[in-house]
Amino acid sequence: MNISVRASATTQIVDLEGDVDLGSSPSLRKKLFDLLRESPKLAINLKALRYIDSSGIATLIEVLKDAQSLKKEFVLFNLSPAVQDVFRLTHVNRIFRICDSEEEAVSPA
Amino acid sequence: MSATETAADSRSIRVTFVMASQPCYLPVVRATVGQLAAMIGWEETDTRAIIMAVDEALANVIRHAYHGRPDGRVELECHAAGDELRFRLRDTGDSPDPARICARTVGSNEIGGLGTHIIRDVMDTVSYQTSPEGNWFVAAKRLRRKT
Repeated sequence: MNISVRASATTQIVDLEGDVDLGSSPSLRKKLFDLLRESPKLAINLKALRYIDSSGIATLIEVLKDAQSLKKEFVLFNLSPAVQDVFRLTHVNRIFRICDSEEEAVSPA
Repeated sequence: MSATETAADSRSIRVTFVMASQPCYLPVVRATVGQLAAMIGWEETDTRAIIMAVDEALANVIRHAYHGRPDGRVELECHAAGDELRFRLRDTGDSPDPARICARTVGSNEIGGLGTHIIRDVMDTVSYQTSPEGNWFVAAKRLRRKT
């Protein structure tokens, strides 16, 4: 899994690439928790994510809950077909704010 | 890790993994399961679901049977025969707690417990057994061809 971070005016944009699984989700968790403390908004680009397992989904839910408690925004966008399948399978679509594009993701809710 | 393949007949292939309880082996297993599912004829979405179900079963063994210990023994047999894909997974760690299997509320924002729901939703049959030889997870799925 590769994690790269870009900054816009009020948003940290995180590009995820590769596989998020039991081996890689702890490092993703740490990175997202750290970034959330530095910015009022996190937007996660899932376009290049090939695979995400339940530990990865649990990580995203944890970060979302942390964002809510800190009154910050946490948005997912550009879900790859593989990620869309997993979200359907795990019934978590309604938990997150999911956007179709980066433009929509960085604009205010 | 070792993998052996034995052709029993023209429509059967059996792949066995014997590996340590380490997440670094999960991508290898996922790739193999994906190839087997595609060979039988599942489309991409179903293939991804089957891969995830097996991956979740293995991850549960690493996390809950061996509690992250890297030296546990894990055996996984994948058997593709005709239109069916069968998996037998054995470990010698702690037995699964029946109360925790599918205990999560579907669609909730609880943190854990997704894995067993995924397995149950994807596979046709799923069973968890404990014997003197260890803990067994057995699951199967049959391709329903469109007529």
